[in-house]
Amino acid sequence: MTVNDLWIALPLMILAIGALLTLLIGALARDDKAANLIAVAATLGAACWLMQTPPATVAPTLGLSAAGLPRLFGTFFTLLAAGVLCLSSGYNRERDINGEEYPATVLFTTFGMLALASATNLLTLFLGLEAMSFGFYILVAIDLKRAASGETGLKYLLPGALSTAFLAFGIALLYCISGTLDIRESTQLTLLSGRPDPIAMAGWACLLAGLSFKLSLVPAHLWTPDVYQGAPAPVVAFLSGGSKGAAILLLLLLLPQAADTTLLRVPLWGLALLSMLVGNLAALLQNRVRRMLAYSSIAQMGYVVIALICGKEGGYQAAAYYAMAYGTISLAAFGAIAVLERNGCGETVDDYRGLGSRQPFAAGVLALALFALAGIPPTAGFTGKFLIFTAAIRSGEIVLAIIGILLAAVSIYYYLRVIAALYFKHADIHKNEFPADRPNSLEYTILTAASLLVLLLGLWPGALINLLSQIFLQL
Amino acid sequence: MNQIPLLTTLVFLPLIGALLLILLTGRVRIARIIALSIGLAETILACSAWFCQSTYSISTTAPNGFFLFEDIPWIEQLGIRYTLGMDGISLLLVILTAVVTVVSMLVSWRSINERVALHYILLLAMQSGIMGVFLSLDLFLFYLFWELMLIPMFFLIGIWGHGRNVYSAVKFFIFTMFGSLLMLLAIIGVYLIHGMQSGSYSFGLAELTGTHFSTATGLWLYAAFLLAFAIKFPLLPLHTWLPDAHTDAPTAGSVILAGLLLKTGAYGLIRFGYPLFPEAARIMTPFVIFLAVAGIIYASWIAFAQKDMKRLIAYSSIGHMGFVALGIAVWTPVALSGAVLQMVNHGLTTTALFALVGMLDERAHTRQIEDYGGLWDKVPIFSAFFVLFAMASAGLPGLNNFVGEFLILAGSFKAVPLATAFAFVGVILPLVYTVRLIQEVIFQEERRELPMPDLTSRELSVLAFLALCDIYIGLHPAPLLEILKTPVALLTGGAP
Repeated sequence: MTVNDLWIALPLMILAIGALLTLLIGALARDDKAANLIAVAATLGAACWLMQTPPATVAPTLGLSAAGLPRLFGTFFTLLAAGVLCLSSGYNRERDINGEEYPATVLFTTFGMLALASATNLLTLFLGLEAMSFGFYILVAIDLKRAASGETGLKYLLPGALSTAFLAFGIALLYCISGTLDIRESTQLTLLSGRPDPIAMAGWACLLAGLSFKLSLVPAHLWTPDVYQGAPAPVVAFLSGGSKGAAILLLLLLLPQAADTTLLRVPLWGLALLSMLVGNLAALLQNRVRRMLAYSSIAQMGYVVIALICGKEGGYQAAAYYAMAYGTISLAAFGAIAVLERNGCGETVDDYRGLGSRQPFAAGVLALALFALAGIPPTAGFTGKFLIFTAAIRSGEIVLAIIGILLAAVSIYYYLRVIAALYFKHADIHKNEFPADRPNSLEYTILTAASLLVLLLGLWPGALINLLSQIFLQL
Repeated sequence: MNQIPLLTTLVFLPLIGALLLILLTGRVRIARIIALSIGLAETILACSAWFCQSTYSISTTAPNGFFLFEDIPWIEQLGIRYTLGMDGISLLLVILTAVVTVVSMLVSWRSINERVALHYILLLAMQSGIMGVFLSLDLFLFYLFWELMLIPMFFLIGIWGHGRNVYSAVKFFIFTMFGSLLMLLAIIGVYLIHGMQSGSYSFGLAELTGTHFSTATGLWLYAAFLLAFAIKFPLLPLHTWLPDAHTDAPTAGSVILAGLLLKTGAYGLIRFGYPLFPEAARIMTPFVIFLAVAGIIYASWIAFAQKDMKRLIAYSSIGHMGFVALGIAVWTPVALSGAVLQMVNHGLTTTALFALVGMLDERAHTRQIEDYGGLWDKVPIFSAFFVLFAMASAGLPGLNNFVGEFLILAGSFKAVPLATAFAFVGVILPLVYTVRLIQEVIFQEERRELPMPDLTSRELSVLAFLALCDIYIGLHPAPLLEILKTPVALLTGGAP
């Protein structure tokens, strides 16, 4: 192992060592506070290291890279994990989720995301994905005192395992055709549109099937509403922002600029259309806020797939932008829901009535996040959609763009329903009086930071767009 | 470039005021006073822009006809710039915006008692959005402000509205968003086509004007723009959100909705629709004229059957905006000046009418025509204003609406005689329902005992100011028409 390898692998090591330390501290002190502190420090440390410019960008012996895209997404994932950890402390105390295993699992999951992000090799990629998925299997079911928790865990684990099997088989088939595990070479060798190889096609079909589960694209979306409803709110924020961001990144790594992706256009087109259609229409029917957000996330991922179809016309940048925007918005939305639920709020839209005046901070953050999801300017959600539709029109996918934008107009209804419940005058507004507790300082900090970022990405998107176009120029 | 960026100040002063008011939540009196002083400062700034016309052509980069112009890069990667510009048309509408906002603050001075600071925050934020719409010369920036002004109105209707407030607020928002999202696609389309033709990507209006589209593409893109603007106007089949939103909105909301938001659609058509797609606009003109005239007659007809005063005025607005649409569609200098003038006139008159109904509602807590009667004896000053503004709205000569309608009809008669003849019917119909309204509410015998004190000095000053404006424009519209001359001539292709 050279110094260079060490430099590239260090953020991963920080996270792994941090996770182990967290477990050790837990065994010694039985103090959640110390464990949490170490976990946050580890994520922030990894994030700082990732922001440094490394002396070289690849470590061939490890199958890792520290090019622009991995470092950008790595920073994003680690910061997201830090935010989730900070939001969890108050929520977990209320829900009686104790023990050092929570922060340790979050760190392991982040480790998996980071490994996935920096992979140059199909095996590293798969290992990272597995590490991440295992973390999430535990995290969604960590609230042991609630009966629904086990059900949620199982509903995530079974399809998850199936999807992993698909991914592994797909990778095996790609290896079998191309004879190499290097991501770039194997994709370029298997995606030759002139003479499609049936085995390569089967491999790609398996990969897409597995990834549709991770992205919760229709028809592999059925787990999403149950998991979004049953898992602890900060975990949902992490799942929604992190796991989906990682899956988008995985697609970006698998579909490099050089490869010819015309063969994948038809299946991706279908996935995008179905996800936008089913997600948006099913969300209209939901009465529970979390289920509504679950279907909304299905629809949002449909928009990301549009961007991936139009990859060469700026779609990859748009997808990367949207992944980060959506992650930040998710953190804000589910962070706000965590604060509201910690203070005794129920789960239906009616339970949210009148919270705008009794819980102004959390309700305000939630409203901002919902406006952002609806794609209203000046928020990150608007800029993301703007970039996606620009890419779509540029590459001639006008039908998909028009269907997408009409469904986006439909989607505004279900977001507005929640906002109307939060703020509008209702006859039975005093139905659910509960003491208005104030958010703690950590929640204040994280939610304020997330909200500012949502606005900043909407008002001054130039910096991130610039960074992304530089990164994709190098690819 | 001026020393002080006047346009930026106009756009962002209210927003800064709104942020300031967030700190003052709970302190009712101070919040009211600060909001009002910002509104007044904005009015002074808007009027001071009037005098900048003489210091013409300060900047060589400004497009022709714009006497104030500010332009800095914003998101350079996408060719998006922060471009504001003011010509005669914007000037009149900016002054109208400032005045109507102050009026809306004053009419809700006593009637809003819960979450007062938030109410003023929303009013100020909306003012920023509307100012931005009237001043942006970059399509992306325009779209941003276009959406920004919706959100405060949504909350105004929902939080302080009455009746089916949630339904109306959501309906208003979704109707408008449907149009504007399709417009967003069209904006992107124009941007890409221009970029591919010229090699430089830009959202600037000046750059995009003159882009060549094939007939079909141009028609589709123009149709998307037209849809967004027609919903705001509102033109006939797309008008159903308006009566609901007006009826359920609080007085300040109705005032701004009728006085300002409806004008943004017409303004968008004048500033962006026609200049960007001259060919498509010409092809679609008969269609727009048909919708405009049908709207004039249909809305006046429906207005006659209304029992709720706010609903009646709402339908009368649809009729009056039909005249504006006719004037724009014909696109001759006289008709276009008339249309812009009519936008200002309708803004002033309808604002006053909604304020009057709001005052009645505040006193007697009902807006049904059948509950009132005999106001002339009980509240003579109020009744006098009511008659004056109702007559102005019906187009009585000597008052402002008459001038606008006359110019529109005179300008369009030569071009489309048949449609103009039908529109003439639309001049008579408002007279019918207005006379009925005045007769039932003011002159008929008292039908119910209602608490009815006469005007306070605050209400009196608001109404007197609006009445003076109405009479002044009615008698001497020349200064306003003088301002409109250059921009209208430039838009319609004649010499300035």
